[in-house]
Formats: sequence, C-alpha cells, structure tokens
Amino acid sequence: MSNTNATLHDTGALFQIAEPEERAPSKRRPGFGIGIDLGTTHSLVALAPEGSAPRVLADAQDRPLLPSVVAYTGEEPVVGADAVAQQEEHPQAVISSVKRFMGRGLADIDFTHPYTLDVDEGAGVIRIEVDSAGVKRRLSPVEVSAEILRVLRDRASAELGEEIDGVVITVPAYFDDAQRQATRDAGRIAGLNVYRLLAEPTAAALAYGLDRGGQGLFAVYDLGGGTFDISILRLRDGVFQVLATGGDSALGGDDFDRVIAAHLLDEAGITEPTLHQRDAARIAARTAKEALSAVSSTTVSIAACGIGGVELRRETLESLLDPLIQRTIRACRRTLRDAGFRARELDGVVLVGGSTRVPRVRALVEETFGRPPLTDIDPDKVVAYGAAIQADILSGSAREGVTLLDVVPLSLGLETMGGIVEKIIPRNATIPISARQVFTNYSEQQTAMQIHVVQGERELASDCRSLARFELKGIPRLPPSMARVEVTFQLDADALLTVTARELMTGTKQSVEVKPTYGLSEEEVDKLVMESYDFASEDYSARSLAEARVELGRVALAVRIALEEVGHLKDIVTAEERAAIEAALADGDAIMARKDADGDAITAARKALEKLSEPFARRRMERALLAGMEGRSLFDIESALAAEEAELDERRGGHSAEIIED
Amino acid sequence: MSVAATSEQGADYFACFGIDRRYAIDRDALERRYLELSRDAHPDRVAGGTTREMRLAVERSSQINVAYRTLRDPVKRAEYLVKLGGIDLDRTGGDGGAPDPGQAFLIEMVELRESLEEASSAGQAALDRLRAAIESRSEDCLDAGIDAIEDDDIRGAAMHLVIHRYLQRFLDEVDAEAGLDD
Repeated sequence: MSNTNATLHDTGALFQIAEPEERAPSKRRPGFGIGIDLGTTHSLVALAPEGSAPRVLADAQDRPLLPSVVAYTGEEPVVGADAVAQQEEHPQAVISSVKRFMGRGLADIDFTHPYTLDVDEGAGVIRIEVDSAGVKRRLSPVEVSAEILRVLRDRASAELGEEIDGVVITVPAYFDDAQRQATRDAGRIAGLNVYRLLAEPTAAALAYGLDRGGQGLFAVYDLGGGTFDISILRLRDGVFQVLATGGDSALGGDDFDRVIAAHLLDEAGITEPTLHQRDAARIAARTAKEALSAVSSTTVSIAACGIGGVELRRETLESLLDPLIQRTIRACRRTLRDAGFRARELDGVVLVGGSTRVPRVRALVEETFGRPPLTDIDPDKVVAYGAAIQADILSGSAREGVTLLDVVPLSLGLETMGGIVEKIIPRNATIPISARQVFTNYSEQQTAMQIHVVQGERELASDCRSLARFELKGIPRLPPSMARVEVTFQLDADALLTVTARELMTGTKQSVEVKPTYGLSEEEVDKLVMESYDFASEDYSARSLAEARVELGRVALAVRIALEEVGHLKDIVTAEERAAIEAALADGDAIMARKDADGDAITAARKALEKLSEPFARRRMERALLAGMEGRSLFDIESALAAEEAELDERRGGHSAEIIED
Repeated sequence: MSVAATSEQGADYFACFGIDRRYAIDRDALERRYLELSRDAHPDRVAGGTTREMRLAVERSSQINVAYRTLRDPVKRAEYLVKLGGIDLDRTGGDGGAPDPGQAFLIEMVELRESLEEASSAGQAALDRLRAAIESRSEDCLDAGIDAIEDDDIRGAAMHLVIHRYLQRFLDEVDAEAGLDD
C-alpha cells in the first residue's frame, strides 16, 4: 500500500488520480463577497462589506433591478432594459424568464413562450435557437443566465474597484439538483467563484435579521415572477435551520399576468391571438395588476388587440387570481405539516417577491398564518440583501453570523426493477447528507450495472425527474449476489449530488461518470468557461501548455506508484516492459524539466507513456480483482465482507491505494 | 441489478453525540448537542479552504445529520439499538437479519387485509375504527420493543419491532385506502 492520493479506477481505463484536483486554499479577501439574486423577471446584486448594512447596487441610470432579459440581436449580447426595448421587434432573439428553462428538459416546458427549442441528440439540455443578425446560435439556458451574472459581476467590481472574491447566488428552495447545478454552472461560466447557493427564503430571513432575535419559528412566503416557495425555519443556539420547504417551481407572477391577459383577450373576442397580440396583452395585464395593488379599478387599452378603455376591477382580478393563490396556500399548509408545527406556533411570517405586493396575496397569507406578515423590507430586494450578508461572512469578514442548515426539497431515489423508485434520501432531510447503498450482481456474467438516480416523490421513476444515469463497470465475475458494489450518494451544502462507488470485494474505488440528464457536461462547462476568459491566443496556448504538464505529471505519478507496488512481480510486468516504461518515464521527466517544451511534445510524451504502461495497468487491475476471489472459500469471502463493512463504518479519511493484499 | 441493503454512514451515533447508548434520551439536550456539532462541522466554516477540507466538512456534517435523524426518531432509535445489538432489521434472513414474525402472525395479517377490504366498502367510520385498533396495537408493540431493549433482550426487541413494521405498513395501506396520503 502506498499512502499517496492515487487509486485505481475501472479496469478499462489507465491509472487515474481519483481525488479531485486539489485546490490550493484560496486566500480570501474579506469584504469582496457579493450576493446575487438571479430572478426570473429581474436580477439584483448587493454588497454588505465587512459587517456593514447590505445595499443593492444600481446601474448608471440608478436602476437597481436588472431585467433578466438578454438580447441576441447584435454581435454581443445585450442584457437588461436595453434588451427589453428590443423584445417587441425580435421576440425570438430576446430571451426573457430564462430561469424557467434552467435544468429542464423539453417535456417540462409546458408553458407558452416564443422560442424555438431543441435538444442535442442523446442529451437532455434544452437549446434555444436564436437567429442573431443572420447567424444561427443554439444557446443553453445556462449560457443566457451567465450573461446576466456577468453584468452584475461587473457592476459589483466597478463599485469595489477590484475583482470580486466570490458570490452567493440565491435559488428557489424548491429547485431540484438539475436546476441548482445549472445555476452553479452559470456562475462558473460568468467567471465567478460561487461560494454557495443559498435558498431564497433563507436569504430573506437573514435580511430581516430574524437571526438576531435569539430564537423563534418563522415562515417565509416567496412568490416571485416564476416560482413559489414556502419555507419554515427555526432559529436556536446560533443555528438557522430550515425545517421544511415546499412550493412550485413553475408558479409565479408571470402566471398571474398570463391569466389576466387571457381574460382580456377573451373579453375582446380574440380567440387566436398572434404572438404580438399575446405579448401586448401580457404587458397590459402586468400594468393593470400593478395598478390594482393601489386602486380598486383601472382601465386597460391595448391597441394591438383593439381594446380601448376597458374597465378592470380589483374583484375581477381577484377572482381570476384566486385559483393560483389558493395553490400557494395549499402548499403552505402541507409544508407546515411537514415541519411538524401549527400556524399559531409561528413567531413571524416574511413576504418575499414582487408578487406579494398583490393585496389578495397578503390577505390570504394573513388569514392562513393568523398574523399580519412582515413587509417592511422591499420584497424585491430582500433576497439580494440576505445573499450579500452571507457572502460577506463567507468572504472571511468578522461579521457575526449564524450557521445555515438547509434541506433537500425533493427526495432522492434510485430506479429499481420494474421502474419503481427506492428512496434513499427523503425530502426535507437536512443537508449535507449522504446515503450508501450496496448493489449485488444477479449472475456471474454481470460485470456492469446501470444506475439511474431520480428526484421526486412519485412511485414510478418515469414520473420523477431523471437526474443522472451511470454505469458501474469492472464488477468481478462472482456467483450471483456475491459481487457487491457500494455506492455513496452525497448531497453537499448546496444540495448538489456527487456519486462515488466502491467494489467491496476488492476494495476497488470506481470512477463514476455521472451523466446529468438535463445538465451540461463538465467538458462543455469548461469550454464555456474558457471562452468566457476571452483569452488572447498567447494566453490560451499558455493555458493548454500548463494543462499538458499537469496531465503528464498525473500519469507519470500514477505509473510510478504502480511500479513501486507491483513492479517486482514478473507476471504483472516483464523486465523488458519495465525497462521500456522506465525509459518513457525518464523521457517525460526530461521534457518536463525543459522550460521551452511545447504542449504538443509534452502530450506526445504522455501518450507514449500511457501506451507502454497500458498492458501492465490492465494486468495489475486484474490481479487486484482476482485477489478478491482466488483461494477463498465462501466462508472466507463472507467474513472478508463483514470485515470490510466494519471498516467502512469508519469514515474514510484520505484515499490510499485501495487494493487488498491477500 | 438488485438493491441489497442500505448501509449507513458513521460510527456509533450515540458516541457521535457523546451520549449513553440507551433508549431513554433527553430530546432537548440531544437537539442542543446537534446544533452545537452542526455549527462546528458545517462546510461554510471552511469556505475558501482546500477541496479536501471541504469534502471532510461535507462528510462530517452528513454523519451528524444522519445520526440526528436516527436518534431523534423514537422508532429509528429503537431499531438502531437493535442493530447495534447485532440484528439488522433492514436485512432479511440469516442470523443478523430481521427475525421471521412467524406463521401465525402472517395469517393474522392476511385476515387484517380482508377486514380492510370489508371496512373499505363499509365506509369511513369503519376504516377509522380499524385504524384506531391497529394504531393502538402498533404502539403497544413499539413499547414492548423498547422494554425489551431496556432489559437487554435484543432478540425479543427485534421480534416486536419487526411486527411493528408490519403494522405500520398496514396503517399506510389503510391511509391510502382512505385517501389520506395526499
């Protein structure tokens, strides 16, 4: 055994370092953390440097809210109010409410939108087809969101006079893994160090300073443009804990507008509105809705629909909206029940999101929770304030903070025989959390297993959201039920999933390549990150040179470790092979030592080394697998398994080369 | 592919919380200890640290969360004590697996299912009566299991808890029948 970080992956592959590349502890810069509320209709950036009160940053025209709209009409994308101005003229090239497409598949898009959508063959990520000035582009929602984040990032660094250190981005508490992953990827593509994804209701609770009261039980009702969240939080002993969360990731103020617009069109006798008429009606609907928050009656005129001076009364509006608002109230009741509390036990109710300005919403919330809600912080800004406070803490400021314990909003499960879901992590479980599951083979011929991870509450996998599929390979040939693979599902503090697997017989750590069903691949994110750097070609080649060096170093290290371990065994590596491999290693060292070596030469040296060591790597792997079977009776195998499991019960620290010597 | 078992993470959960390994528990003290451990272990504490520090924090917090879920729940805590005593109710058969509840009990379950069908066609009041009767029996079973744990009778406890599981599953069916599972 060697005490390095190297370990073997599956049989087919060469040596790889399993440990994700070690990130040097970054020197944090207190006060340079920012909070971003990436909203469906608009987004905001806020700062609260070194313990100061949070403030939202406005643009040059003093507008704090950046419309979440991106226009792909010219060479460079345009974000915000300028994009909105082009919406009417280019409905298909100006993208709004992109948040509703984040981490979603085509089948999820059950709302109307003006875009041409598509998916890549064999992949689930939606592409929005945009014809910008004659050039066709296929954009992922993640890229579009990254444009919005970039504008906010620049706004913040201009204010701070320096690059920012990191960011807290808020997400609806109800976002599933794919939606969260998409948000994190958007941050990375925008060149941001994402400290953390924070649930919007938790951010709002922080902004209200509910954490300063010492203890209490709170509800946060968050109705934004496109999403609805309800969370029950409890504060005790410096820990702010989300007890339960619920909601609807496809219900918001936009739906209010649509319902009102449909009513207006209906009244005008327009049964098949053109896209233009529908948009015009929606804009008029929003204006009327906002007006009716203050007055009891308003008049609506829509030239495009031939509507002039039609009266809309608040009662009409309320009867139109009631079914939607009632949906949110039912979710509130369910979530309270999940948290195990009654409405009257609450110490406060917080309203978040522009749609909570609708008086009917406030009235129904008050009725449900039996107390007037807190509304003194601008509901448009409250989430960004909370994100800024948490970002300040995570940037290393001395600010007094509380520990935030979030929950996973939807159960995580595995598809088993017959398409039934076996739940492994229940919804509302406090995160981080992990679950382990042992899988067995059903025949001696089986050397691989398909695993399908889903998220949702339904019984059938096909009714839940597909998160990822992967294959466990290199399972040793053993009688049925004797090969055992333990898979660990880990949800981190952002509720993002990672999967690792380990064959219990040989202790072989498996590399699990998780193919996200609705997410961008790691490579694509990396590519977009690279593009976003706008490298001059020189910088670019410097980067690929650095990468080539890292790769060669990685392979050489793994080969050396393997040689040290089993190099003396002639059936694993012959003397000639060993000599050839050592010569290739020496070549590699020589080229690494040269300052002027170019990337191609380094890559060639790596490939030569890989090719030479491949048969040796394979034999070493086979030996490791055989060690698990040969010369052991069933009893031996059973007791080895028991010992293994006992050992597994201890949390594993560093990853040593995991081969059991017999 | 078949799912063989769920193995849980971590050493003894009681040790993790620094409390005695027994059923009776001070829930308030447990919660305070949980919050204290969570404060120290949360990944936000090592924001900006190395990947390894971050991973260790995530693993440690996971362990605390899993332990707390088990210990605070009366049924899970009882089943966990039985598991520590060498009988894993999540495994079937064998020496260390869930005990067979016996032929007589299984026949009784079949009869219970028949009475569920009858109650279902007789209406809500009949369903409520059936539910109340089974619920009370299930509670008695759990109590008997806990008593057995406190008397250090792990085998006896395992048997009571297995029957408790059967009854709980039956109650879920009753609720599904009554349409209460929404």
